[in-house]
Amino acid sequence: MFGYYFMLGVRSLRRNPFLTALMVLTLAIGVAASVSTLTILHVMSGDPIPSKSARLFVPQFDNGQLDEYSPGAEPDDMQMSYPDAANLLRSGQGERRTAMYNIQLPVEPTRKDLPAFNAAGLAATRDFFAMFDVPFRHGQVWSEADDARGADVIVLGHAMAEKLFGQTNPVGQRLVLTGHPYTVVGVIGPWGPLPRYYKLIGASRFGQGEDFLIPFASAIGHEVPHAGSMSCSGKRDSGYAALLGSECTWIQFWFETRSQAERADLQAFIDTYASEQRKLGRLKRAAPNRLYDVMEWLEKLKVVANDSKLSAWLAFGFLALCLINTIGLLLAKFSVRATEVGIRRALGASRADIFRQFMIETGVIGLTGGVLGLALAFCALALIGMQSKGMATIAHMDWKMLVVTFAISVASALLAGFLPTWRACQVTPAIQLKSQ
Amino acid sequence: MLRMNNLSKVYRTHMIETHALRGFEIHVNQGEFVTVTGPSGSGKTSFLNIAGLLEEFTSGEFILDGVNVKGLDDTARSRLRNEKLGFIFQGFNLIPDLNLFDNVDVPLRYRGFNARERKERIEDALAKVGLASRMKHYPAELSGGQQQRVAIARALAGRPKLLLADEPTGNLDTQMARGVMELLEEINAAGTTILMVTHDPELAVRTHRNVHIIDGQVSDLVRRAPSLLDADAGVTA
Repeated sequence: MFGYYFMLGVRSLRRNPFLTALMVLTLAIGVAASVSTLTILHVMSGDPIPSKSARLFVPQFDNGQLDEYSPGAEPDDMQMSYPDAANLLRSGQGERRTAMYNIQLPVEPTRKDLPAFNAAGLAATRDFFAMFDVPFRHGQVWSEADDARGADVIVLGHAMAEKLFGQTNPVGQRLVLTGHPYTVVGVIGPWGPLPRYYKLIGASRFGQGEDFLIPFASAIGHEVPHAGSMSCSGKRDSGYAALLGSECTWIQFWFETRSQAERADLQAFIDTYASEQRKLGRLKRAAPNRLYDVMEWLEKLKVVANDSKLSAWLAFGFLALCLINTIGLLLAKFSVRATEVGIRRALGASRADIFRQFMIETGVIGLTGGVLGLALAFCALALIGMQSKGMATIAHMDWKMLVVTFAISVASALLAGFLPTWRACQVTPAIQLKSQ
Repeated sequence: MLRMNNLSKVYRTHMIETHALRGFEIHVNQGEFVTVTGPSGSGKTSFLNIAGLLEEFTSGEFILDGVNVKGLDDTARSRLRNEKLGFIFQGFNLIPDLNLFDNVDVPLRYRGFNARERKERIEDALAKVGLASRMKHYPAELSGGQQQRVAIARALAGRPKLLLADEPTGNLDTQMARGVMELLEEINAAGTTILMVTHDPELAVRTHRNVHIIDGQVSDLVRRAPSLLDADAGVTA
């Protein structure tokens, strides 16, 4: 009978076309509003690396001075000082570990037809690629030896590789960064987790991948300045060497453990490390040392802004209003079908049959509203994406949201249809049939 | 086929009670063609609605084709209605946005027949009422008489044991009414029991017997086909 009721539902769309159009439009607008905000929320709050998000950890120490410190307060610093980053890199803790900082450098292409340009990249250790599942289109990551000696090697993002070398494999080619020749060892394939969880500080959280990556030690060796935020408490001398020896925090650091269970061991290690550093006169504050896994880190840095959550709530509130409106329209649509209900009841339909028929008809309205809602949601997301480059990155719909759109639409329609359908089932057939 | 013993139907509002039927007794045999007459408000429609399982009765006993219908739930009553009864209404009551084929298809869908059997029954029923060539037409494209024929085809498609007709010729002109009546007589002659409410005395005299209802009780009985009625199967008032 489902097919029969579905067919009746499709035919029913043509009945009272104005009323049907109003219902579908009302539903579609509500669905589009909620789905477009939900899409953005979904991208913002989704797990960017589900396979290992519970095994990747950001350690957090408090490098601040004792003045202006309230005992027990959470650490202020979201990044790490160079001494701590260097120590933790050498620690051998976890399966992998990486330190990184944002850099922005002038690139001098070897091609004569291409002028120099600025590119945003990352100075990181080689573990970065394995830790964050970075795919390679050409070549591979630099070696441990390159990391150790700070070799001038570079891994290009695929967009920058195409810009510099076209479609050819550029591995082995050279380009000049800040006057130093760098050898290309690899090109990253399409990659750009959203949000850009691995470097949430000092760069767009919803940017796409990296233009290039060079070894952390190479960047330090060439005194490449960081291009992001830095937090310094207390005084420090000027100069790059002074920065490296200071308690200023400007490096982002990640551990990867073999299992989630190793978190406790890692926590014990950083507590011990901080305690030892205190004995050496550093990390003066007795603030708790923290470890954050990926989802905790996203929450800590409020990647999903309260505004976004509020927008989603408001959109669903709007959908609720649309549903109330749809209930009214469905009541009107179904009330004029009381005679049909009476006829069907007289011909053998039970109340349950009528309930199923009308709910499936309502579901058809929901599906139609879903199709229109989807089109409107695409338009809404396109408009949202026009606001900024960052929004353009996140304002797109994946297949999950496509399914969610139809689920919301059909569920909304069924919810709205429940009362009108229930009332239709209460029709007294004898009265309806006699009144004709 | 149908037996009601000491049946009553009371409509209650918070202010008043209305006794539509009281101490109602009737027994209709298989194969009979019975007309029900009576003034407006006498209880004819209540009787027909109860006979058609469209309304519940207040007290008494009602046996339909051997099934005691008292206490049956909605699903069981609907199934019984679908399998044993056919309805013909004064206002035809076709579904306007379904073509003739689909209109006749409605009761068969609820019976759960497969597509092939439904098609056979629909074509057969429409052929019997002379509308086989118009099965893709919509009700609005037909005359009143033709619409009533479709309603009869719809009632016949399920091959019911009892056909309930509520003033089936009330909305038709004389010529069309005669045609519909002849069709009902043919159906009855083929073995289907018919219970017909009418105000038309000319139609009443054409059936096997006439039951006259006044104030919710059977007040009169006119027998015209004694061969169909034996002493046990009569109507008592």
